[in-house]
Amino acid sequence: MLDPISNRLERYMDLLSTRQKLVASNIANADTPGYRTRDIDFHFEFMTQLAGGDTPDVIEAQGLKTKNDGNNVSMDRETRLLAENAIRFNAAASLLKSEMRVLRSAIQEGKQ
Amino acid sequence: MSLFTALSVSASGMSAQRTRAELLVENLANSETTRTPEGGPYRRKDAVFATEAQPSQFASMFQDELGTGVNISEVVEDTREPDRRYLPGHPDADAQGYVAFPRINPAEDMVDLMGASRGYQANVAAIGAVKDMINRSIDLLR
Repeated sequence: MLDPISNRLERYMDLLSTRQKLVASNIANADTPGYRTRDIDFHFEFMTQLAGGDTPDVIEAQGLKTKNDGNNVSMDRETRLLAENAIRFNAAASLLKSEMRVLRSAIQEGKQ
Repeated sequence: MSLFTALSVSASGMSAQRTRAELLVENLANSETTRTPEGGPYRRKDAVFATEAQPSQFASMFQDELGTGVNISEVVEDTREPDRRYLPGHPDADAQGYVAFPRINPAEDMVDLMGASRGYQANVAAIGAVKDMINRSIDLLR
């Protein structure tokens, strides 16, 4: 819509919200027997998105301990990701806002 | 917006954990109950969780796959034999003087109750984080 940087920020925020949704699912299902932790390969998916790729693939998170009921949700991992995604999203939103401020001042100054 | 699905997923988690907590509190309250409408002593109840796709208003196949909430598929009753205690003076005593009491271990229920409470808190934290992200997005318009 705007310039390449804003476009990338938009993709980045989009992908972060996708990941946040998976984290919310994992937390909601922390006590569901047989549930497996779901995630996306963030770096790979972001590169794919920048190259004009399609919707991200949901994969099972690797290297997690499985509990007796077949569930492998790690609350520590999920709360860390929850906080991390929120911080990254806020940073990207602030950057996008300043990009928009530049555009807006151009419009404002042009009026005079 | 896809973030709203995350809110309903966390809400389903809160609701499931609250129902579980209610059952556990019911078990603790009825740990000495010898009479029930079905007859016999009270039996310990527990919730079984199952995944459930959260429908989104603008759901595509992809979004259905992402928003996996949780619901309670069934409430199971303990099938173990009741705890028989020798109390000949009790009105519910059988011919031998034994009274059937529920087989409830308060420690077991308290530990599960703490788990349910922590699970509820985690879902509340998730809602807080997602809500903050949504607010930040709306803030871009200002």
